[in-house]
Amino acid sequence: MKLIRAEMSLRRQLLLTLSLSFCVLWALAALWLYSDLRIQMRETLDQRLAASARMVAGLVSQLPEDARRRTTQPMLSIPPSTGVACQVSSLSGQIIMRTHGEFAGQLDATAPGFSNKIIDGESWRIFTHIEDDLKITTADRLTERVMLQRNVILVAVLPFIVALLGSLIMLWLGIRRGLRPLEHLRSELACRDPETLTPVKISNAPTELLPVIDTLNRLLVRTSDTLKREQRFTNDAAHELRTPLTAIKTHVQLASRLPSEQAHEALAQAEAGIARLQRILDQLLILARVEVEYPDSEIAYVNSKVIVKTALADLTDHERITVIQKDKPVTVNLPHELAAAALRNLLENSLRHTPHPSPITLEVQTKAQNVIFTISDRGDWPASQSTHNLTQRFWQRNDQTNKRGSGLGLAIVATICERFGGSLEFTARDDGGLVARLTLPISEHSAR
Amino acid sequence: MHILLIEDDELIGSGVRTGLELAGYTVDWFTCAADGRLALANLDSDLVVLDLGLPDIDGLTLLREWRAQGLTVPVLILTARDAVADRITGLKMGADDYLLKPFDLDELTARVQALLRRAAGRAQTLIEHGTISIDSNSRQVWRDDAEVELTRREFMLLQKLFNARGGILDIEQIKDSLYGLDTEVESNAVNVHIYHLRRKLGSDLIRTVRGLGYRLGEPEDMTEGCLK
Repeated sequence: MKLIRAEMSLRRQLLLTLSLSFCVLWALAALWLYSDLRIQMRETLDQRLAASARMVAGLVSQLPEDARRRTTQPMLSIPPSTGVACQVSSLSGQIIMRTHGEFAGQLDATAPGFSNKIIDGESWRIFTHIEDDLKITTADRLTERVMLQRNVILVAVLPFIVALLGSLIMLWLGIRRGLRPLEHLRSELACRDPETLTPVKISNAPTELLPVIDTLNRLLVRTSDTLKREQRFTNDAAHELRTPLTAIKTHVQLASRLPSEQAHEALAQAEAGIARLQRILDQLLILARVEVEYPDSEIAYVNSKVIVKTALADLTDHERITVIQKDKPVTVNLPHELAAAALRNLLENSLRHTPHPSPITLEVQTKAQNVIFTISDRGDWPASQSTHNLTQRFWQRNDQTNKRGSGLGLAIVATICERFGGSLEFTARDDGGLVARLTLPISEHSAR
Repeated sequence: MHILLIEDDELIGSGVRTGLELAGYTVDWFTCAADGRLALANLDSDLVVLDLGLPDIDGLTLLREWRAQGLTVPVLILTARDAVADRITGLKMGADDYLLKPFDLDELTARVQALLRRAAGRAQTLIEHGTISIDSNSRQVWRDDAEVELTRREFMLLQKLFNARGGILDIEQIKDSLYGLDTEVESNAVNVHIYHLRRKLGSDLIRTVRGLGYRLGEPEDMTEGCLK
């Protein structure tokens, strides 16, 4: 759920941040453009107003002096046009000509230069120019100017807005497209059953997402393997514990029903069942101990000689084992009890499968950073093709059930090797029997 | 009644065999599927007790094989696999009952009895035939309400004939049922048991079918026989 929320907010966050900054930046640019344009336009229009005043002045000054003064009526009349007005008068106030008679006197008292004035309820931009004894006033209606400005701005700003909207849409599409693999991953994870441990598959995942998916899949595979292993182990352990329990229960029940002579036999069988149960429990405990974490400080490191001694001490029939120590004893990089358990299990298996009094040899030698324990026997082992079965948990031989072990011994050796960086291999001998080679790493710690 | 026991574990196998023999059954025990398969092909077993975790072939495979061949012998599975899925698979493959290890010897015997009864098509433990009635649980026999003492093998033979429901049993079938494989059997042993049964329960109870074997007489004949 957390993942989904994070993904959603990532998309929303991107969209929000980007579209907001787009809008703000484009709006600022538009504002700047607008104000700049307004100033430029006003200046241009003012210049044109002034130019037209000067142009009229030039024209009027060419009239003969007396002609200008002959009459009190304006001599020249210009047909009025909307939006612009003009008036020419002498400095004494005599109107020589004007466009808008209805303005009577409104344009008279204007100071030279630019000014704004409201005439008949409308705003005008007025320019007054004095040349010799002439006063020329030109006026522009502001409404026209505003109209013009509005049109110019509309023409300039509309593409801006369209472009902005376009960018926003592209942005939205881009983000959606870019985050699609994430969305796929989310829906893939959301749809799957929480119990499912199959790897996640996303088509066309971008390189940024690949390590995440890889890590996730590796984790899933590991979890699934662990679960499978645990499940198998639980099943096997249940099976192996139930078998001796059944034997014990059956024979104990029989003992109470049979005449005393046969009852003794039944009890002896029950005892054999108990012994087997005990062996299995011991081995299960060792296995459990292999799988816990060992803090470095708590490991008791010992040398190979001590390991051999400990392993032999626990075996009942160890006189048959000849130990050949080839090199100087070295410290083994394994907890003492586990190294000894591994070696003991191998020796025990050899003893179990080698008919008495056939000898077994244990050779200890140092090679590079490893110590190698080689156990050779002449036991009647199964055919070589099944040597890899030997290390499977609860794998038992088909025949001769009196040789039955716990089914865990060699599996424990294999687990110890795997856990502490050792190795275990079996080779069938041509003359019958088996060679087991246990390789354990040497420690840099000094032995206690 | 002959029971074929297939169990690879030495300790369990010997215990179950003794337990079933104590309950009055003839038991032959094999420790691998191959031997069990061979035994069932040659023996007329009334029931098979089958362990699933066999070293050579999985018990379920063997069971499926038998059912495919059309063998209807009741099969009781012994197993340490307790997952429900495993049980369902076992029953689907044609097992008649399922017993989880570790089990109680009394429960095993009770289930074996129930399976044998069911195989004979009866829900009751008490079976009647003319004037004779037998209780397969308590192993008692009555003739005209008077209890008759039978030896273990005589009872087994009588039960076998009752379960055949008038069908003909040949000497080999009867021998398998009474002795299994292990015991050396005298050639006329079956005849001796038949003779004793006729003496104890009336001469018309068992009919000889010349050249084929024996079958149970009709109840009407028996009544007449008794009246004579």
